Amino acid sequence: MSRSPGWLPPLALFAVAAIVFTACAGATSPSPSASTPAASASAPASASQSAFAARVYPSTAVDCANPPAGYTGTISQIKALDALTVEFDLCAADVAFLSKVAFTSNNIQDSDWLAAHAKDKSYVHDATNGTGPYRVKEWVSGDHVTLEANPNYWGTAPKVPTVVVKWSKEAAQRLQELKAGTVDGIDNVGTDDFATVQGDSTLKLFPREALNILYLGLNVNQAPWNNEKVRQAIAMGIDRKRIADNFYPAGSEAAKYFTPCAIPLACGGDAWYDFDAAQAKALLKDAGFDFNKTYDFHYRTKVRSYLPSPTQVATDIQSQLKDNLGVKINLVVEKDDTFLTDESKGKFPMFLLGWGADYPDVTDFLDVHFGTGANDGFGKKFDDVDKLLTAAASEADNTKRGTDYAQANTLIRQHVPMVPLVHGGSATAWRADAEGAHSSPIGNEALWTVKPGDRTQLVWMQNSEPSGLYCGDESDGDALRICQQIFDSLYQYKVGGLDTEPALATSCDPSADFKTWTCKLRSGVKFGVQGELDANDVVDSYAVQWDAKHPLHVGNGGTFDYFPALFGGLLNPPPATP
Amino acid sequence: MTTAAAPTQLGIDVAGARRPASLWRDTFSNVFRQRNARVGLTILAVLVLAAVFADVLSPYDPDKTLLGTEKRLTPPCIHVLGCAADKPEHPFGLDANGRDEFSRVLHGARISLQVGFITVGFAIVLGMLLGLVAGYAGGWTETLIMRVMDVLLVFPALLLAIAIVAALGPGLINAQLAIGIVAIPVYARVMRASVLSVRENDFVTASRALGETAFGLIFRRILPNALTPIIVAGTLGIAGAVLDIAALSFLGLGAQPPLAEWGSMIGQDRNYVFTAPHLIWFPGFALALTVFGFNLLGDGLRDALDPRLNR
Amino acid sequence: MTRYIIRRLLITIPVLFGVILLVFVIGRLLPGDPCRILLGERASDAICADFNHRFGFDRPVIEQFTTYLGNLSHGDLGSSFRTSRPVATLLIERLPMTLELSIYALLFATTVGILLGIVSAYKRNSAVDVLTMAGANLGVSIPVFVLGLLLASLFALVLKGTPFALPPSGRLTPGLSIVPLAVRWGMENDHGPLRAIVDFVSNMYSINGLLSAQWNVFLDAIRHLILPAVALGTIPLAIIARITRSSLVDVLGLDYIRTARAKGLGDRSVVRKHALPNAMLPLVTIIGLQIGGLLSGAVLTETIFVLPGVGLATYDAITSHDFAVIQGFTLVIAVGFLFINLIVDLSYAYLDPRVRPA
Repeated sequence: MSRSPGWLPPLALFAVAAIVFTACAGATSPSPSASTPAASASAPASASQSAFAARVYPSTAVDCANPPAGYTGTISQIKALDALTVEFDLCAADVAFLSKVAFTSNNIQDSDWLAAHAKDKSYVHDATNGTGPYRVKEWVSGDHVTLEANPNYWGTAPKVPTVVVKWSKEAAQRLQELKAGTVDGIDNVGTDDFATVQGDSTLKLFPREALNILYLGLNVNQAPWNNEKVRQAIAMGIDRKRIADNFYPAGSEAAKYFTPCAIPLACGGDAWYDFDAAQAKALLKDAGFDFNKTYDFHYRTKVRSYLPSPTQVATDIQSQLKDNLGVKINLVVEKDDTFLTDESKGKFPMFLLGWGADYPDVTDFLDVHFGTGANDGFGKKFDDVDKLLTAAASEADNTKRGTDYAQANTLIRQHVPMVPLVHGGSATAWRADAEGAHSSPIGNEALWTVKPGDRTQLVWMQNSEPSGLYCGDESDGDALRICQQIFDSLYQYKVGGLDTEPALATSCDPSADFKTWTCKLRSGVKFGVQGELDANDVVDSYAVQWDAKHPLHVGNGGTFDYFPALFGGLLNPPPATP
Repeated sequence: MTTAAAPTQLGIDVAGARRPASLWRDTFSNVFRQRNARVGLTILAVLVLAAVFADVLSPYDPDKTLLGTEKRLTPPCIHVLGCAADKPEHPFGLDANGRDEFSRVLHGARISLQVGFITVGFAIVLGMLLGLVAGYAGGWTETLIMRVMDVLLVFPALLLAIAIVAALGPGLINAQLAIGIVAIPVYARVMRASVLSVRENDFVTASRALGETAFGLIFRRILPNALTPIIVAGTLGIAGAVLDIAALSFLGLGAQPPLAEWGSMIGQDRNYVFTAPHLIWFPGFALALTVFGFNLLGDGLRDALDPRLNR
Repeated sequence: MTRYIIRRLLITIPVLFGVILLVFVIGRLLPGDPCRILLGERASDAICADFNHRFGFDRPVIEQFTTYLGNLSHGDLGSSFRTSRPVATLLIERLPMTLELSIYALLFATTVGILLGIVSAYKRNSAVDVLTMAGANLGVSIPVFVLGLLLASLFALVLKGTPFALPPSGRLTPGLSIVPLAVRWGMENDHGPLRAIVDFVSNMYSINGLLSAQWNVFLDAIRHLILPAVALGTIPLAIIARITRSSLVDVLGLDYIRTARAKGLGDRSVVRKHALPNAMLPLVTIIGLQIGGLLSGAVLTETIFVLPGVGLATYDAITSHDFAVIQGFTLVIAVGFLFINLIVDLSYAYLDPRVRPA
């Protein structure tokens, strides 16, 4: 060829244009690639122990009887009593307190670090500083995060000095990498790949307990679902086992109650109806149901642990209702964003949705859907159920709570504002030589406890890249899992379990009425990059999340959605718009 | 991906399309003399037949789930090829919902063909209209229209289509609209070029002098001349449109379940590429075959209609 | 020629403005509330009102547009609200990968495509020609996503354990890490434009490996790029092969070629010395046009091979309504593309004087 190939000039120009463009635009931005935690940050040295000035937040305790405008939360005040003691004053008894403080979003940050890195949000991506077993070595955006052992870690040193976290949305892809040996462990094995993993002697499967619920929602205000008999017919006219068996991995089960039974006190009262198409059909005829009409059924295609294959499940429900009951439904795919808003406003007569546990307590399931936290998705609340739930929530005695929940379950079964379908199991899979491999029911696997054969690094592949690592303001499990490796909370869930055990606190003890919790901190704990743990760090870590007007209430998106979910509400919340 | 339809690379010489309309008869026999066109037409004929008679040819309702009696993801089973006679016959196996894949692939032909024709038809009508107005009116109108077309052409087709679908909401109709909009500039440009070349011609000046109206001019002079390149670009454009809509459906933005559309079938079942590869290959093959057919026909048409390439 | 260039540049200006406007409009037309998408089940009205206020989504659209234009004039593309990171930074991270992939795909497409085209034209109407052209027709017909899945399963699973096995996803084998060129060259404290350029180049892994002589990184990066580049390059390859053949066939029929033949030149040297240079002309345009197609295909290729490029990032941004990222990325892509078209036109005018007066 006598002339240079024609594509060279245009492509070169594109490259140059792109470089120049990004260069001009990026001139003021900080380093984009690998950021090694630099110990030379501009923050002043942490307050020394001797001159400890205990912080109290807010300075005047919130008056729970007459809460300030918009406050719906359950915390009254958080105080540092001395350098290693923190007290939480609550508005009402909270028996689930330890479960809540153990949650990853309530991790403890260094006060000075927060002050130095909140304003430019660098703590979201480039500058993380926790007390956990690992710290971030590099985060190549879009590709992987590399963690290195935190030399200052207070607990048992990690089994392996380096952890690489990768991600892929596709279950097939994750399995492929595991089989190819390029990763040591993967999250969420595909529904149909459980057998493949179990049949492969070089791999090992670790199923997770199903801590979620998929349900078919019915709006009790909209015809024809405003008829209790019709709803009961739907409740017994769907073969839930067929859905669980066909579209869910092993370890999933057809739901007998709304709340998964692994959660304490969840499964009292009458279990759900057995599948009985004949009786259901009779009920429908009895209620004068119109079989000629086609009814809309709304769902979205987002994959969740409670719904690993949305389209297939929706399609099967459509086909079941037609074959079992002669009820014709039309599938309406909703957009991801508008779906939840519209659902919460009660726009859908019939819909498919689910819920995953934030923390393992009945309140996180029943109250959120049928009690205080309920929206208009099911049309209206049933007063009898609501009353029982309110009573149970402030009850410190577990036996009495259990009776209340059992009654509530029976009533929900009678009213059928929704049909509980499946508790969706999931699983991690590991190479067989990984010692200590496990799965956690809420997805916070402790990677530091796993030893990947004789390899010097552990490679873990999950569904997605975290959107940030300031986990007070992250809601995505894939971000929380990485935070779990870098940060600690006062308590933590036992590896692979739901029970709590002390972490940064050596103990947190309640007062007799469960309204005051006093936490003793571990002494001599150092953060991975800089700073030493004291009680003020705890007060500040909570306060910046809790108070929407706190100058350091910055976060990533800035919504801090877990905190209100756990503790009832933010202080000084932004005014609600109609 | 739609660049396959950009006029410049089709070797269409717009000016070369100037030919008396009486040659149309010859053109047909010319087309049939092209090997490409013959093969393309044969493929398309088979697909059209499959689409028209999908209901008769399908052993099952494409949306019927057979889960009560059979296992989902069952591999293909054809009795004459040695599949045990007591098993129900499914030439392409069962999909992830336990539906007969063969019936779904057949019905997919119907959707893809419809979608291809409608999308390109939409783009051609709008494109021709815009090109006509631009070429005929000239001046600011022309500048405005053609600059807007330039803006549309500056975006990578699929990316722009994704953005449009995201704005309109996912769905087959919106996907068609998006791909149609993205394809408009191609036809607008061809049409405008054709108008310009005709406008300068002596015979047009003559007929204008003889009092021919604007409409007469457009329908009797300009349209017939523009038709050849539009037909060629359109045929190749259908290939591109079918591919792009399948791509959108693959990404979950086009056809919605339970509709049996090839792209969305592949997209939904791509996680089974190792456990049940038949769910990828059969619709994938059908898709490639359709696009192949239109490409061959388009090539054949171009060769037949452009005498310079006729050898 | 100068007048032609000026005219061509002037045309570009309104188009550029149109692109900026369209990019903005697309960003704002997306329905739904970014807050709801981001927060899912836990978003409340109060939380979302505050969120929208903070990001300025509650102000009039005109005001948002002028703010956007103003920021743009400073080279400020804004920050992603999903990750709180500057769009410019994201671009420096994502664009190189796509550019690298496109370069290899185009390299593959042009070399193999031109070669096949020449062989086909040279042996016109032979079995080789018929097969090659049928293959080319088939090549443009296979959807990128089907080809990608096929290649991934073939080379990663079927050929696993053989020397031909290739990785199905990612950019580097985990454990191999790339040392940013800025670190290697001691530029860590530089935050100027030069640093941005170095980071940009540094994020093209194969080039980084080459420049810093990390041969294992270089080879590994190339191995990861082979399958995606082949998947992405197949359609352009087929088109280029066809065009090469048809323009060569055209040229071979012209008088001066006949003259050359009459002079006694052999077929081979006729093709090499006389036919090919002239047949290259239409190729310039075609190859320029393919770049837009490559970016479209990149969305699909990057989805299938899990490559953190600009296509995948834009798709993610669109589905999560990350306005700033959608606007920034599509703008840079469109502007880059605009300049490619400009260059193609100008080079075409340079190569073929007949075009200029147009």
